[in-house]
Parts: sequence; structure tokens; C-alpha cells
Amino acid sequence: MRKSPERVEILAAEYVLGSLKGPARLRFEGWMMESGRVRQEVWFWEQQLGALSTATPQETPPPRVWSDIQRRLWPEQATTTAASSAKAGWFWPGWGLVATAAAVLFAVLLLQQPSPGVERPLLAGAIIKADMGDPLWLLSETGGGNLLKLRSVAAGTAESGKDYELWVVPEDGEPLSLGVLPAGDTHEVALSDEAQSSLTRSRTLAISLEPEGGSPTGSPTGPILHVTRLYEL
Amino acid sequence: MASVEVNQDELMRLLRSVARKDRQAFQQLYSQVAARMFGLCVKLANHRELAEEAMQESFIQIWHHAGEYHRDRGAPLAWMMTIARYRTLDLMRARKVRQTAGDEHLEQVEDRRAGPLDDSLRTSGSAQLTGCLEELSDVQRDSILLAYYRGFTHDELSETLNSPVGTVKSWIRRGLMALKRCLER
Repeated sequence: MRKSPERVEILAAEYVLGSLKGPARLRFEGWMMESGRVRQEVWFWEQQLGALSTATPQETPPPRVWSDIQRRLWPEQATTTAASSAKAGWFWPGWGLVATAAAVLFAVLLLQQPSPGVERPLLAGAIIKADMGDPLWLLSETGGGNLLKLRSVAAGTAESGKDYELWVVPEDGEPLSLGVLPAGDTHEVALSDEAQSSLTRSRTLAISLEPEGGSPTGSPTGPILHVTRLYEL
Repeated sequence: MASVEVNQDELMRLLRSVARKDRQAFQQLYSQVAARMFGLCVKLANHRELAEEAMQESFIQIWHHAGEYHRDRGAPLAWMMTIARYRTLDLMRARKVRQTAGDEHLEQVEDRRAGPLDDSLRTSGSAQLTGCLEELSDVQRDSILLAYYRGFTHDELSETLNSPVGTVKSWIRRGLMALKRCLER
């Protein structure tokens, strides 16, 4: 395969993103070894996308990580026999991230989280699904967390005379309506301060089937179709 | 959570010492970046055991390859975070798809060029990146961020976004190129 500038440009980006994999990834690593131009292109993306890495929340690793590193690098010095617990009971669940009983709600959120100095994007996210079927809606949160954007993927319109209504489920108390979901590709919901602070605490949303125009009582009256916690990525 | 501010000059000094196999400097380096790196690994893998393993692999790699770091690779922290990201992705892929085991280590690549790049450029880069991401279409941005933060493959994105793999690939490619044009403006 010829290393045209266009091809190098896109493959380098996909390499750093991680979407280039398998034999194509190995082949590209060969290109990197051969060509300074290819490496420069990779470094460009490592630096640019690296900004996203530093936006993730910090988390202190357990002490065994450091003791295992020491044990592996300098086995002669190992004073602690770090339990081989890391290997025991290994279980990798594939990417089945969430599987609740009735429905899975998974929302894609682009959060603007205040961090010292710079506002950085932080992804949380998911899809609204019925059982393990196709996704119905995708959700994103923008505008400093006070705007929810729903994108219909495969959700049909509600049956005649009915509407889907979106709710914030607070930690305690009654659900707060975010209004009915109109048919169409994209729908934006501005969150009130109350809805936003509830959602920030509970991270839970629900969708119910209501009479046309939405619940007449201000609380869900129809069947709850989907409930989930938002999933921070 | 209390954010540990990172002093890049200090990390640079520690990396140089690690390159000379200074174990004490290595421990200091670990204590300075471990929480930040572990946060990334956990987020990416969504699996603590795998994240711990990726941390081990990353630091072992840093120990062996600290001498290969140079300024063109980005700020010291970004370089180490990039290693952690690649190692986490490797482990994720290896666990799920056995035949993809064995990605070569990036650090086999050698390049001696020194190209000092002002750190302030990189810092401003993150705000610029945010702005440029905002310019992408929703599907392009979602695809790129899901791949970056969660290591989603094309197939997984295709399933998640309920779109053919070819469409997802095209979102990513067009999105990345639009991002680059924006970043270069």
C-alpha cells in the first residue's frame, strides 16, 4: 500500500484513536519505523488527543499495583509476595456494559465539566435500548450540563393518541417531567435548575407512555418503558 | 476529588533519572502520575483488574523506554498517558479478540530529533480541541469520543449507533480530518 500523504494522515489519526487495529495496525507500525514523516503525524495526534486524557477524573490505584510493578521489574528485591489475586477469577464481560432486567438506557453525554482553568469535554454516555434490541435514542448533554439532546435512532412514534414523556427520577420524591418527546430526529430539552441538580445527583432518567400531550397529572400515569442510570464514560 | 497538579519540568527531570535507571526517581514518578493514569485506564477499560494490569504494563514500559522520550512526543505527562492508553487498548482487545494479541510496542520506534515545543501551546491546544470538537457533527463527535474514551471498535460503534460499519468508519474519518483542519487553522 502506498504511503500517500492523505493515507498517512488518516491512518495516523485512526492509529492514535485506536480504531485502527489488527493487521492494519501492525502494518502501520511498520510504516512508523520506516518514516519520520509518519511518526510526526502520529505525534501530532498523540499531542492533540492527549488533551482528552488529562480531562479524566483521577483515581488512586490500590497499593498492590506498585508492589506488582516492583516485583516484576526487580524480582530479586521482592519482599512482599503480592497475592496473585489479579489473575484469580479473571472475568472479562466483553463490552456488555449494562444489562438490566427490562430495559437498558445508555446515553451519550458530552459534559462540560469545570476543571481548574480550562473547560474540557468529558464523555459520559449511552443508548436507550429496549431489552438487548436496537438502540432507540442517543442522549447528549451540552451547554454546561443544562441542555439534553436526544437523537432518535430507531425509536418509532408512540401509538396513536399517545406520547413518550421523559422524566428525571430524583433520589427521592416524585419524577420531574422533561416534557414529551416529539417525533423527529433530534430533540433538545433545556433543564431547569431543579431538574439539573436532581439529575446530577441521581443520574437517572425514565421514559413513560402517556396520553397525547403528556401526563395530565404531572406524574407518570402510563407504563414506564425505560429506566436507567446515566453512565459516565 | 483533589487534583494533583503536575509539574512537567519535574516530570522531565524524573524521566531523565529513570532513563539512567534511578529507582527512587521511578517511584517518585509513579507517585506523581499514578492517580491520573489509573483514572484514564479505569475509564477506558471500565474494568478495574484490567486497568491495574494496564498500569503495571505501562510503568514497566516507562522504566525500559524512558530514554526514548523526547519533546516531539508531547509533554512528559501526555507521553506517559499515551502509553497507558495504548496498553489498556491492547489488553482490552487481547481479552476480547484473541487473535489481535501482540501489538508491537510503539517505543521500538527511535528518533533522536529534538524539537522543543512550548508547553503553553499544548495547554492552549486542549481548549482549542474542545472548540474544534464542537464544530463536528453529533455523530462524528460521538464516534470519535466513544472510540477515544471507551476504546470502541468500528463494530461496537456500528452496533451502538445502529449504523452500518462503513458509515461509522466514514464518520470517524471525516470527523478526524475535519478536526485536523480545524486544529491547524
